[in-house]
Amino acid sequence: MFLKPYFAFAKKSFLGRSAYRFDHFMSILNTCLQIFIFWGIYQALYGGRSEVDGITMTMVSTSFILSMGLKAVFYVDDYFLPSKVWDGSIANEFLRPVSFRGRMLAENIGNAIFNVIFHFLPALLISVLLIGICPPESAGMTVCFLFSTILGYGVLWTISFAVQAAAFWAINIWSLATLKDVLINIFSGTMIPLWFMPEWIYEALKITPFPYIYFTPVQIYLGQLSYTEIAQQCMLQLIWILLIYLLGTLLFKKGQKKLVVQGG
Amino acid sequence: MGCFIDVRNVSKTFRVNKRAAGVAGMVANLVAPKYEKKQAVKDISFSIERGEMVGFIGPNGAGKSTTIKMLSGILYPDEGRLMVNGYIPYKQRKEYVGSIGVVFGQKSQLQWDLPVIDSFELLKAIYRVPEETYRKNLSRFTDMLDMESFLNQPVRQLSLGQRMRADIVAALLHSPEIVFFDEPTIGVDVVGKETIRDFIRELNEEDGVTMIFTTHDMQDIEKTCKRLIIIDEGSKVYDGSLFGIREKYGTTRQLDVEFGSPCQVEPINKVEIRKLDDLSGRRQRFTFENKEVQINELMNYLLAHYDVRDINISEPEIEGIIRKIYNGEAS
Repeated sequence: MFLKPYFAFAKKSFLGRSAYRFDHFMSILNTCLQIFIFWGIYQALYGGRSEVDGITMTMVSTSFILSMGLKAVFYVDDYFLPSKVWDGSIANEFLRPVSFRGRMLAENIGNAIFNVIFHFLPALLISVLLIGICPPESAGMTVCFLFSTILGYGVLWTISFAVQAAAFWAINIWSLATLKDVLINIFSGTMIPLWFMPEWIYEALKITPFPYIYFTPVQIYLGQLSYTEIAQQCMLQLIWILLIYLLGTLLFKKGQKKLVVQGG
Repeated sequence: MGCFIDVRNVSKTFRVNKRAAGVAGMVANLVAPKYEKKQAVKDISFSIERGEMVGFIGPNGAGKSTTIKMLSGILYPDEGRLMVNGYIPYKQRKEYVGSIGVVFGQKSQLQWDLPVIDSFELLKAIYRVPEETYRKNLSRFTDMLDMESFLNQPVRQLSLGQRMRADIVAALLHSPEIVFFDEPTIGVDVVGKETIRDFIRELNEEDGVTMIFTTHDMQDIEKTCKRLIIIDEGSKVYDGSLFGIREKYGTTRQLDVEFGSPCQVEPINKVEIRKLDDLSGRRQRFTFENKEVQINELMNYLLAHYDVRDINISEPEIEGIIRKIYNGEAS
């Protein structure tokens, strides 16, 4: 069984998450609070109007609920590889007959599955009850939304992977990872839905990977895209995954060559 | 070619950031960092046959660990060629590492928070070890290393000796053909060391596992290895049997003689004579080069001319020889 070790890693990280219960409940609360705060701000900005530039308040809340919820699911530990380079335990990792990248992905997926069930769903339920959300456009669109969500995760994961691979040189990548987070927060539509961005910024963002993480799935959910457009967007998501993955792999391979094992 | 482990002209250089002390040094380093090249391994060659047990020794920073890490596929050599069991470790890492086991005495590969047995289960999945092999190896190794009592304890609660034993078993569960031990007895007490040595020796003799062993404890080497490779400042300085090292470097002999009564020994050509205990001359030490003085002739001469009660011949200790090699005194 080729995938057996990877299942073991995914299972380990899934089970490991249940160890810290307090932290877990607080993180659900955190997600809900973020949704409520942004909802409150936009509520005030709308000032009682039912729509601005053709975007209704319900669409805005839906966008926040989905992208904030997905953000919780998509959490990737940017320090997985760097911490191993830092303390030298990367040596043990390279002694395993498994792909290190595959193992990273497996652990992250185990984590993500845990988050979908125990973080996204409770937060979604609370938000839907308190704020309300647009119902899914259609069954077909829901399937497309799920598919595009997985691709969005791929884009985010490859970005994180490339950032982490920089640790072979920098060892400490805190500022790089923070810069990445800021860019993603602003340009992927989690803080300001991209509809409200000035036209030229919105156009410019289309040639960056950022809108393809959260905004594409949200647009699909809301039924803003035709099936042809969905196919196009998903293609673009795939292209970004491929491009960034290649970049990350290049960094990773080069880094592996110049690896210095710290301590002993 | 054809050797099980074949290392040809391998070199590895690290770039080390040189930084002056204090605030000024820090600022200078931030603006224009200075790097220095440190050659950890210089043009090393050796080969090892299947089933051999080889001790790898050298002072701290000699390049032992770097060599082990290159052999196990973690580090890339800058120059030269490495071949183990038909694999090029750093290029075919994933396929290769399934057939080796590595124990880093200073780095545990166990999961800190989990019971030992859980780490073993994870390794079983990672290495795709068949259930039957896993059971067999686990019960055999835990028995040999006397580990039953702490299999279900979290790793963070183990003593260093226990953790080391668990780490050794972790590296062997998948029945590797080659095992690298990098200081497996570091920080372990005398009894624990003995258990580990016995275990290693048995595995080599009964299962024919090829082993490479780095250590600073000469007892480890004397009790386990027949062959010794000494590395100093990145270069190989000795490669041969434990016995051979005495032949090559341990050229001085000592003869401690106890006389029936205090006496004055006439000077002998090429022999250094020193009085022991007190200056009365009842016990005296004769030190000489093996090549220059025949030991039997010296003894016959002493027995014929003096009233000798007791004679004690001593060979130099391995540890002393090694110290001389490290200090660059041996030639």
